[in-house]
Amino acid sequence: MLSRRRIDWVIYAAFIVLIMVFPLIMDSFWLNRLAKYLVFGMLGIAVALSWGYAGILNLGQGLFFGAGAYMLAMSLKLASTTSLQQGSDKPVPDFMLWNAEPGAKTELCCINKASFLWLPFQSQWFGVAMALVLPVLIAFVLGSIVFRKRISGVFVSIITLALVLLVRLIMIDAQPVTNGFNGLTDLGWFKLGEFEFDPYVVPTYYLIAISLSVVLVLARLLVETRAGVILQAIRDDQNRARYLGFDVPAYQTFFFAVSALIAGFAGMLYVIVSEFASPTFMDLSFSITMVVWAAVGGRASILGACIGAILINMISATVSETEGFAEAWKAIIGLVFVLVVLYLPRGIAGLAHDLIDRFVARRTPDRTRALRVNGASSQLAE
Amino acid sequence: MAQAALTIDGLSVDFEGFKAVNGVSMIVEDGELRVLLGANGAGKTTLMDLISGKTRSTGGRVFLHDTDITNWEEHRIARAGIGRKFQIPSVFKELTVRRNLEVASCTSPSVFANLGFGFPAKAKVDEVLELIGLTDEANRVAAYLSHGQTQWLELGLLLTQDPKIILLDEPTAGMTQAETHKTSLIVNNLKGRHTIIVVEHDMAFVREIAERITVLHLGQVLAEGSVSEIETDPKVKQAYLGSKGIT
Repeated sequence: MLSRRRIDWVIYAAFIVLIMVFPLIMDSFWLNRLAKYLVFGMLGIAVALSWGYAGILNLGQGLFFGAGAYMLAMSLKLASTTSLQQGSDKPVPDFMLWNAEPGAKTELCCINKASFLWLPFQSQWFGVAMALVLPVLIAFVLGSIVFRKRISGVFVSIITLALVLLVRLIMIDAQPVTNGFNGLTDLGWFKLGEFEFDPYVVPTYYLIAISLSVVLVLARLLVETRAGVILQAIRDDQNRARYLGFDVPAYQTFFFAVSALIAGFAGMLYVIVSEFASPTFMDLSFSITMVVWAAVGGRASILGACIGAILINMISATVSETEGFAEAWKAIIGLVFVLVVLYLPRGIAGLAHDLIDRFVARRTPDRTRALRVNGASSQLAE
Repeated sequence: MAQAALTIDGLSVDFEGFKAVNGVSMIVEDGELRVLLGANGAGKTTLMDLISGKTRSTGGRVFLHDTDITNWEEHRIARAGIGRKFQIPSVFKELTVRRNLEVASCTSPSVFANLGFGFPAKAKVDEVLELIGLTDEANRVAAYLSHGQTQWLELGLLLTQDPKIILLDEPTAGMTQAETHKTSLIVNNLKGRHTIIVVEHDMAFVREIAERITVLHLGQVLAEGSVSEIETDPKVKQAYLGSKGIT
């Protein structure tokens, strides 16, 4: 029988096939661009998970993205050729020399007071590990405090917003170790064995596309587990869930951390395709932009939020490069957002689901059309 | 003599000088249905808050059988076997009726134990759906239920959770007469299987379900007894019922 859940999976499969065939029709410039948008799609998933499913509107998702990005960027910075040409046999980032005190030793250990922090990043895999561990750690600590104290709703948003701005300030201020406002540029390529991921070649695109597909499917499966359903129950009514015996903060912290993990992973991948990490990742506007992507795509849908992010970015790129719109494209994107929020509160995904429901109802006329059949629940119960 | 299911010993709470509940002691036996009566501000809901962990007491103890559960966290008290229905019906609005009950049927509280798929207690959920009369609405999203149906669904959550003790805070609030009657049937059905404590204002409902009544007044126990004893108790008459008794 056609259930909405089965149709959902068909759409997921179609999406994955679609992003896999893009390299056949696109040049390397667009491919690199699209890879970035796929990374943003992954951010959309992270936002949908925390906002749509956990009811936690995180206005500081950029913190996790930035953390993931900087961690890998530090490793890739040390792997770049310029870092090896600074007059030492071990790599030293060029900006550290520009800022060094006269007479400081050109060594990572002691060129400035905090440069030793870079030492373990000489291993690329340490950078990769940290890109995943650090966001989870931050989310875990933050979540444990905030959710145990039963802070909810807009207050969580304010705390996350303040935190991302705070970290951004610190990153800019810590110029000697982070290169401040300029961020980390001139990075080496990510390596897998002997293979180097040049951002403009097809394998790099596939690295991103496959990562996105895996995250997409895992996130969807995750929200269908019992824990995922309980999380949605908690979103609807925390107290009710609490008095049914669920440790509410544990659920919220867990999914907050998973969302952070996905955002950190996205940050890491973004560094691989864009070859830089900068404090702009932690700009307020970027974190809010992610929320807009999820709202347009549909925050209650993993795939919807992902597609929302990709579509908005493709449209902005196209519109901003179209003569005549070059000045007005931000206004156009803003208008699209306002219209979606007004007329499609559940986003593109909500619209799609309504259409599917209508389609399913037509195929199975004996089922009352008024019923909003949730295919997922009836399937799982069988 | 039946075993005590819930023992409350000198329970008090002090809200910056205001004693909403002041030295309340009572014993509720296994399988009993106890009604809490009292005017607004008598401390009925606060007493439920204290039992279920929503409010921390400043004095006294609460025992569930032999376990001291005083001031435990809410979810631990719930796991220990106390279920609660709220005055304002609260269910999981964006989930279907069946999903609501499935969540309640979940026996493991931990996140990691719940990373699997599917809820095993289908028979139990079907049984409860039948009992609360929502079988036909099983696949409906809870937000679209009527007020009465929402109340029954919340009762259903408690039935699925299957706690030893059920606390009901005004289960018939805002219901029509017919809905109230149906609710009394559901509650009567629970008698004997669960220990039940009900806060209720609706006298018709109280008559349909009550066995023993505890009357609270200004945070203290004023009287305790059967319906007829309470009806004839001069102190209670004076404080609440006027001279006409329970009608």
